[in-house]
Amino acid sequence: MAALPDFQLLHPATASDAIRMRALHPGSRYLAGGTDLLPNMRRGLVATEVVIDLGGVDELTDLHEESSALYIGAGVTLAVIAANRTVQDRLPALAQAASGVAGPTHRVSATLGGNLCLETRCRFYNQSESWREANAFCLKLGSDTCRVATKSPRCYAAFSGDIAPALMVLDAKVEVLGPLGTRVLPISDFYRDDGITWLAMTPDELLVAVRVPLKTGWASAYEKVRVRGAMDFPLAGVAVALRRENNTIADLRIALTGVSSRPEFVNGLDALAGHPLDDTALAIITRRIKLGIKAMETTLIEVPFRRRITPVLAKRMVERLWEMVSTSLS
Amino acid sequence: MTAPRGVGARLPFVDGIEKVTGAARYTADLSSTGALVGRILRSPYAHAELLEVDISEALKLPGVRAVVTGADCDQPYGVIPIAQNEFPLARDRVRYYGDPVAAVAAVDEVTAIEALSRIRLRVRELPAFFSSADARKPNAVLLHDNKPGNIEREVHNEFGDTDAGFAQADVVREELYECAEVHHAMMEPDAALAVFDAERGHLTLYSVSQVPYYVHLTLARCLKMEMAHIRVIKPFVGGGFGHRTEVLNFEVICAMLARAARGTVRLVLSREETFLTHRGRPESQIRMKLGLAKDGRITACQAEVIQRGGAYGGYGLVTILYSGALLHGLYDLPAVKYDGYRVYSNTPPCGAMRGHGTVNIRFAFESLLDAMAKELGLDPFEVRRRNLLQAPTETINGLKVLSYGLPQCLDWVEKASGWIERHGQLEQKGPLRRGLGMGCSHFVSGSAKPVHWSGEPHAVIILKLDFDASVTILTGAADIGQGSSTILTQIVAEVLGLGYDRLRIVANDSAITPKDNGSYSSRVTFMVGNAALDAAENLKRLLVTAAARRLKVSVAEIEWLGEAAIVAADPERRISFTEVVEEALVGTGTLLIKGTFTCPPEFQGGKHRGGAVGSTMGFSYTAQVVEVSVDMDLGKVAVEKVWAAIDCGLAINPMSVEGQVQGAIWMGMGQAISEETVYEQGRHQAANLLDYRVPTIVESPDIDVHIVESLDPNGPFGAKEASEGPLSGFPSALAAAVEDAIGIRFTALPITQMRVFDALQKKPQTTPPESVSTASARGDT
Repeated sequence: MAALPDFQLLHPATASDAIRMRALHPGSRYLAGGTDLLPNMRRGLVATEVVIDLGGVDELTDLHEESSALYIGAGVTLAVIAANRTVQDRLPALAQAASGVAGPTHRVSATLGGNLCLETRCRFYNQSESWREANAFCLKLGSDTCRVATKSPRCYAAFSGDIAPALMVLDAKVEVLGPLGTRVLPISDFYRDDGITWLAMTPDELLVAVRVPLKTGWASAYEKVRVRGAMDFPLAGVAVALRRENNTIADLRIALTGVSSRPEFVNGLDALAGHPLDDTALAIITRRIKLGIKAMETTLIEVPFRRRITPVLAKRMVERLWEMVSTSLS
Repeated sequence: MTAPRGVGARLPFVDGIEKVTGAARYTADLSSTGALVGRILRSPYAHAELLEVDISEALKLPGVRAVVTGADCDQPYGVIPIAQNEFPLARDRVRYYGDPVAAVAAVDEVTAIEALSRIRLRVRELPAFFSSADARKPNAVLLHDNKPGNIEREVHNEFGDTDAGFAQADVVREELYECAEVHHAMMEPDAALAVFDAERGHLTLYSVSQVPYYVHLTLARCLKMEMAHIRVIKPFVGGGFGHRTEVLNFEVICAMLARAARGTVRLVLSREETFLTHRGRPESQIRMKLGLAKDGRITACQAEVIQRGGAYGGYGLVTILYSGALLHGLYDLPAVKYDGYRVYSNTPPCGAMRGHGTVNIRFAFESLLDAMAKELGLDPFEVRRRNLLQAPTETINGLKVLSYGLPQCLDWVEKASGWIERHGQLEQKGPLRRGLGMGCSHFVSGSAKPVHWSGEPHAVIILKLDFDASVTILTGAADIGQGSSTILTQIVAEVLGLGYDRLRIVANDSAITPKDNGSYSSRVTFMVGNAALDAAENLKRLLVTAAARRLKVSVAEIEWLGEAAIVAADPERRISFTEVVEEALVGTGTLLIKGTFTCPPEFQGGKHRGGAVGSTMGFSYTAQVVEVSVDMDLGKVAVEKVWAAIDCGLAINPMSVEGQVQGAIWMGMGQAISEETVYEQGRHQAANLLDYRVPTIVESPDIDVHIVESLDPNGPFGAKEASEGPLSGFPSALAAAVEDAIGIRFTALPITQMRVFDALQKKPQTTPPESVSTASARGDT
C-alpha cells in the first residue's frame, strides 16, 4: 500500500457541523475509526481532498438505555458494543457480530457507523492501483465492465459488514441526520442492492445512531463462515432471532451478509409462525435462505461452497436457539 | 545442581529487548533524511517480448533523479552459479506478471508514482503458461531458450535395486499427492536503503537479507563494481524463512538507482510486491510408490516429483534435488528411485522455503506409509519403528547419519499423546469428531557443500578483546529473528565463563564482520556455532597463558573461573578478569582472535551428479502427534493439540529450540489447512495478508515440545538444527488425524474447509475410508 495522499482534515465538534462541512465539500469523506477508509485511500480506491474527522463529535459516542430500546451512537466502537452488558444479555446477536469483526486492534478503533457503511468489497476492487490497471479496472472504479459478471450493467461487490444482519433480525432502526433534519428508517431500508451505491443515504447525510428494541422472549445469534477465526470478512454471515411459544415458532427472523451487495433479510419465514421446528420447517428455512443468497465470485472462496454451507450453518443456529429458549423457559 | 548459564540456558534473546520495546531499527526504519524514494515499474503482462521501454517522458518530470531499465544491467544473476538467468530489470522479455521492468528514484513518492505512469512499454505478448502441464506441452513457447520443454532441471537417480525391492514386497501401492504453492509471509516486507558515495564511487546497501555475502557478490557483478567498494549491512530483520536466502531483484535495483542518482535511495516494497518477489515453496505433484513387506519393512520407494518453479532459476535446481535426496536419511530404505522435474512457468519464481525441498515429498511419503500400514494392520508407530536407521551409518545415496534420536522422539510423542489408548477411539461430541495422526521428519544442519566453493572455511568468527575487558563477537551470520546471535553469544559465554554483560555481538556489516555464507539450510548453529566455539577456545588459551604469566605459575596450574583466574592449588592467589586482560594486551594491544569451521570432504555428499545437495554433518529428527477436531456439519478442521519431540543433538538454548519447533509446526499447519497462492491468468489474486490465509492466533494450538539430546559428535556441544525439520512432519500428521476423525484421507494440500465440507457431503454413510483428491489416484499390487 502506498502512503496516504495529501488531504485537508476538518474537525467538526457537532453532527450538524459535520453535515455543514460536508455540504461545503461535496467530495469529502467522513472518518470515524478509519479501519475501512484509510486502507482504501492508501490503495487509491478513494480519492478525496477533504476528510472530516468525526472523532471530536461527542454525541456520536452516546450509548444509553431507553425505556424499551438501546440507543447506540454511530461513533461507538465495536469493542465497546461487544463488551456492553446490555448488549451481551439482551442482544447476543449484536454482541457476537461486533466481537467477530476483524481483530481486537481493529475493534478498539472501528465504529458501529463504519461497519454499517462499510464499503462493498470485491476481489477485483480491493487491489492495488497497478493490479487494477493491469486488469483494465472494473465497474466499481475506472471501467464500465464488471469483472465478476462481464455483461452486467451493475456492480456486484459484496456488502461484508457483520453488524447489519444482526441489527436486521433485532429489528433496529437507524437515525440519519441531513440538512433538513433527522429521519428514522428500519435498517433494511438503509441498504440498496448495488455494489456502487449500497447505502440509501444521500451524500449530505450522516448516520448518527441506531436504536435497537429490547424485547423479551427472544433468543438471537450471529455466526459467519470464514477461513480463519479472526481477521476475515464473512464469506457468508448469518444472524438469527427466534421467539418460541411452547412447541411452536412464534417469530423467526434470519438475515445474511456477504452474499450480495446489501445485507439480505430472508423473506417468507413468517409463514412458519405457529409451526413446530420440524423437518418441514427446516426445509423451508433452507429453501428461503438459498433464495436469499445471491453470492457472486467476489472472493477467492467459491460460490457453490458458500451457497451450500450457509443454510447448514443457519439450520444449526436455529436449532441451537430453539433448544436454548426451551431451556430458559423450563 | 545450578541452572546452566552458558550452553543449555533458557536465555532470552540478546537482541530481544530492542525488539519488544520497539527500539530495534529495521531497514524501513533507518534514518533516511534526504533519501530519494525508489519505485519499481512491474510487468502488467504474464509473458511478453519487451520491444521498447520508453523512459523519456519520465525523465522530463521535475523531481525525478534517476530512471533505470534493463539496459542498465546486462549481467544476469542467480544464487546458483550455473543457473543465473535473472536480470534485476527485465531485458528483452518479461516472464511473469510483476517482473520488474524499470525503476525510478524521485524526491517524493507522488513524483515517483507519476514518473512510473509516464514510462511506456511496447511489447509483443507471448503465450503464457501457468501450470507445469501446460508449460511442458510439446509446442509450448520456451521461457528460456536453452531449456527445452521448459524443464529447468531433470533429476533421475536410483540407489539400490527398486525393481527387486518391489518384487520382494507383499504390498505395493502408488498414489498421487498434490500440494499448492505457499509463500513465506514473513512479517517484514522487503526493503533496501542504498547510499552511493559519489565522490569515492563507493556503495553501501542496507537490506533485509539472510545472505548479505551473496548480496555483496551480486552487487559487484551486476553493477560491475569492485567488491572492495561495496559495503553491505544487515539491520534487524523481521523473518525470512527462505524468502531472503538468495539475492532479490529489489536489492540490486535499489543500488542501481542510488548510483544513477548519485545519492541515497530508499526502496520499500509493498506487501503485494513482496508476494510477487515470492521464492516460496512450489506447487508440486508427487507420484509416490512404496513396497512393504508384511512386517512393515519398506522394500522399495519410487517417487516422481513435478514442481512448478516459476519464471527464473533461483534455487530451483537445488529444490528438485533436495526432494530426491531427503527421501533418504529418515528411515532405512534399501532401494530408492527418484525422477524430478523442475518446470519453468509464467508465475513468480519459487525458491527456498523452510524445509527446503522436503516438505511436500515428506507429506506424500508419510501419507502413503500410513495408508499401507493400515492395510497391513500395523500401527503407524509400529511401521516406522520397523524402518529405523542405526547410527552411525551412511545412507545408500551417501548421506552420513552420526546421531539419530528418532526412536526416543517416537517413544515420547506416543506416550505424551496417549496414542495407544486414544488413537482411533476419541469421543464424539455433538457434531465434532476427534482424531489423532502422527508423522516423522528430518532436516539438514547446514548444507555441507557451500554454493560458492572458494576453498575458505565454512564459517569464521572473530572475537575482539580490548582494554575495557569486554569481548565483542563479530559475525557475518545473519540473525533474522531465529536467534543466531543469541546462540553464538551463549557458546562464547560457556567457553569463557564470562557474564553476558561483558559480551556484545555485532551482526552484521561487511566492513566489520567476517564473511559468512548466510542464514540458510539451518547452518548457523552447527557451522558458525562451531567457529564460535573454536574462537572462544583460542581466546581462552591466550587468557589462561596471560593469567599464568601474571601469577607466575605454569598454564597447567591455572584454574579458569571466567570472571577470575586462580592458582588451583592455592586459591588465594587470584586475579580478576580485568587484570588478566591487562596482562594479555601487554606488548600487543587489542586482540582479534579468530575461530573457523570447515566441513570435511567426506561429509559433502555422494559422488553422483547433484550429490552435494542434502549432504550435511547432522540431521535433526522430529516425531509429532497432531490432534484435530472436525465439525461434521461445516467441515471445519481445528488443530486442538500437537505433541512434538525433536532430536536437535543438544539444546544450546532450550527456550529458543521450543520456539523454533512451535514456529515450524505452526508454519506447517498453515500449509496444511489454509495457505495457498492463487493465480488467475498469472495474476496473483491473494497478494495480501487478508486473502493469503496465514493462520491467526485463533487457529494456533497448544504445542508441547520435548527435546531429545542425541549429542551429535560434530555439532557444537553436540547441537544440530531445530527449526526446519519439525515443519515437514505436520501436513501428513494432520491428514492422518482428519482420517482418524472422519474416515476420509485427503491427498491434496491445503485441507481446507471447502474440501472437507464437499467430501463430507459426498461421503456415503458407513463406508470404509477412502481417498479424496482433486488428483486421480491409482493403486496396483
